[in-house]
Amino acid sequence: MSEVLIPIGPQHPALKEPVSFRVIAEGELIKRLELDISYNHRGIEKAAESRDFVKVVPLLERVCGICSHSHATAFVKGIEEVMGLTVPRRAQYLRTVIGELERMHSHLLWLGVAAHEIGFNTLFMWTWRDREIVQDVLEELTGNRVNYGMNEIGGVRRDVSEALIARTLIRLKPLHGRFTKYAEIIEGERTIRVRFKGIGRLSREEALRYGTVGPTARASSVDYDIRKDDPYAAYEEIPFKIVTDDAGDVLGRTRVRIGELEESVRITEYALRNLPAGSLKVTSPRVAPKADVVSRYEAPRGELVHYIRTSGGDHVERLDIRTPTLANWTSVAASLPGNHIADIPVVVAAIDPCLSCTSRITIIDSGTDETSVMTWDELRAHGRKFYRGREDR
Amino acid sequence: MTYLTSAEVSEAMADIGPVEAIRRNRVQVTTTPGRIRAALRSATSRLQCDHLVQIATIDTGHEFELFYLLTGAHRTVLSIRTLLPRDRPKIRSVHDLLPPAGIYERQIHDLLGITFDGHPNLGRIILNEDWPEGEFPLRKDWKMDPAKSYGGAPEEVR
Repeated sequence: MSEVLIPIGPQHPALKEPVSFRVIAEGELIKRLELDISYNHRGIEKAAESRDFVKVVPLLERVCGICSHSHATAFVKGIEEVMGLTVPRRAQYLRTVIGELERMHSHLLWLGVAAHEIGFNTLFMWTWRDREIVQDVLEELTGNRVNYGMNEIGGVRRDVSEALIARTLIRLKPLHGRFTKYAEIIEGERTIRVRFKGIGRLSREEALRYGTVGPTARASSVDYDIRKDDPYAAYEEIPFKIVTDDAGDVLGRTRVRIGELEESVRITEYALRNLPAGSLKVTSPRVAPKADVVSRYEAPRGELVHYIRTSGGDHVERLDIRTPTLANWTSVAASLPGNHIADIPVVVAAIDPCLSCTSRITIIDSGTDETSVMTWDELRAHGRKFYRGREDR
Repeated sequence: MTYLTSAEVSEAMADIGPVEAIRRNRVQVTTTPGRIRAALRSATSRLQCDHLVQIATIDTGHEFELFYLLTGAHRTVLSIRTLLPRDRPKIRSVHDLLPPAGIYERQIHDLLGITFDGHPNLGRIILNEDWPEGEFPLRKDWKMDPAKSYGGAPEEVR
């Protein structure tokens, strides 16, 4: 059978991360994968060089709509390290609370998207309904549903009252039962098993070799988690465990994220119940001494790194950001070959790359040179039909 | 888990270059571009680094500084630092030693114009496909040339 080139993508202007794949397939089987991630480059690293620290924080919150707190925290903790500031414990706890709420809303969003990709829309509706609880809590704590604006160099900008803490704890309570329910659903539902089990498998060696991070790595028994490895905020004082799984497939990645949801809600409650009294911030100097700092943060998608160089002035000399999604692409390219075209939506979505609606797909048959355009929707439908057809056999 | 000490790193990197401890769990080795592959080999074999964190780059205005950041079960970030002359920004690719380096090198090539010898595909990855050749926006001396088109629809059709 002749090889077929399938370009997927590149873009839809409203989406977070447009990407273009060129998938080389033989029949239903994927042979190779090429990648172009250029479609949403906004030059934020360059822009960060021309602003002072105060203005860079809100700029970095806008690197990503989902991980806005991650980027802001990674940057401010780097600059605080350079300036030698001791951030008040209350601020560190509040950063942790927002960080874990952000992880919950990101993982719930992911679970819904993954369920949608396989046509399990009931789960999609449930997770997104529960995500609203988290979004409401974030809105009440910070004033915003995205781009929370909580961080500044030296601490946080908003305090929480006792009454608000009590209200938040009541709101978070039902989530425990919901997360247990999801854990049961993914083990019991046939749809999930058929579409997730054994798909996109990475052994522990492969996960390490391809440099995966976050839940993708932890689903392959790699226990790297920056919250433990390079503790920041209040993680040294809060008990929690790193969730890992040894399956290495999409099902394993789902289990890890659901396990992390359970951990995150516990961390959030612990931090709110044990919130230390005291001030919210220390005054930071306008300038930072000359230094290099590697600031690492465990974002919902994995290890986020800000390499920061300051030069004695009030702005960064260089800010080099390595996002978790960039680290995980290599593993997608490595784990797709040998899988079916029908598995592309699931394997790609399994690293949670924020691109699940990448626009159009062109199918070129190398035999006839005929080109037809397919949307991501059609590819998704193809995946569902492919597996339904196998079921009937 | 015990962090790597600068003594352990010095022993493994004896012929690579000087070692300094930056802070708890951060150790840095400075080496020449020619010895970068040897440095990475001893990091992965003798110091058990199994994860390439990032290849950080800085244009100082005089030269390019590259930091290969690695970590492993010891949870120490080992930084291998090297300097490249600005007029000849070339270094051997390490994608075969550490596969994730492939995508990072491609990104650096796109934004700073550093060439990685032996890389299988240094095509565009971050900048748009109609970005002019030979323009590297993260270089300190880069300025937008108003006479050039940097992509997108031309003025008259906008």
